[in-house]
Amino acid sequence: MKLYLYGIIDSSNQINEPIYGLEGACVYNIPYCDIGAVVSEFTEPVQNNTEGNVLAHEEIIERLMEHFTVLPVRFQTIIDGRDNLLSIMQSYYKDFRNNLERFHNKIEFGIKVIWPSDKIKEHIINTYKKSSQKVSISDDSSNKRFMREKFEKHKLDEEFQAKADKFINVMDIFFSKFAAEKKLKKLKTEDLLLDAVYLVEKDKQDDFREAFEHIKGPHANFKFLFSGPWPAYNFVILPKNSDLLKDSRQEDLFDKVVQHQELVGAEKI
Amino acid sequence: MHNVVTKSRDVTLLEILDRVLDKGVVISGDAVISVADVDLIYLGLKVLLSSVETMEKYRGAPITGPMQEPT
Repeated sequence: MKLYLYGIIDSSNQINEPIYGLEGACVYNIPYCDIGAVVSEFTEPVQNNTEGNVLAHEEIIERLMEHFTVLPVRFQTIIDGRDNLLSIMQSYYKDFRNNLERFHNKIEFGIKVIWPSDKIKEHIINTYKKSSQKVSISDDSSNKRFMREKFEKHKLDEEFQAKADKFINVMDIFFSKFAAEKKLKKLKTEDLLLDAVYLVEKDKQDDFREAFEHIKGPHANFKFLFSGPWPAYNFVILPKNSDLLKDSRQEDLFDKVVQHQELVGAEKI
Repeated sequence: MHNVVTKSRDVTLLEILDRVLDKGVVISGDAVISVADVDLIYLGLKVLLSSVETMEKYRGAPITGPMQEPT
């Protein structure tokens, strides 16, 4: 019997409401000590990685979130039988438990901030030109011009990064007040100023949303994207050196998307 | 399964895929029959060839507010 695994929950009890998983199979909990693995049975491995299946997977995890603390498992993880699943649970009980305790009463929110990088750069260049005019250099030999251009490029990059740091720090001060944990990525592209995830206690989520609205207000030319609540996908910590379980953050999906874009000739990010 | 799209949150598929396909617990080993091949799924679901920025262009309007409905 093959078992499609959706998530690990902080309960060994059965799920009270009927939930139907991929291919309409009944979703149930296989207990191990005081936690459980939520699964549905499969006769054959999932062949179609369809959008519908991805959404169904996520929906089931969201349903579980309403009643339990959930450690979400990656899409299309199929275990070869109950005994193997229990063996995994036994081996990693402590790790699962630790994560579940960290996630208790907490939810994940995602924040992406897009800024007008062209305008920011333009502003930096204009400011630099104004200040450099004051100390204008009359000698314009090609060597000096080359050096000056190099220096200006360096200066521009430096200023650009500094401005990004400044904005991110200000935003993060607000968000961090209400977050237990966070992960920030700066400038994945020149336009994507911030790609952040925050782990927030449920009773602080309104404050967190308020902080977001507060930050959004004065930055009319920035674009903000807020998503959640999610189960704590981005905060799972499992032993890195294990050959059985891996922390999922070993690869950067963004790089994959870029690679695939190049592969099919899609528009560049 | 379409409730996720229509019900509580106006999250984009990109946000969902970004989590479901590559975050959370990843289990591998002999006991595991199948682990999602992220590369193949990304190619299969070409929606992910759009980033947040390009998505914004396709939407025709800037992303100006929270993607979720207030609770």
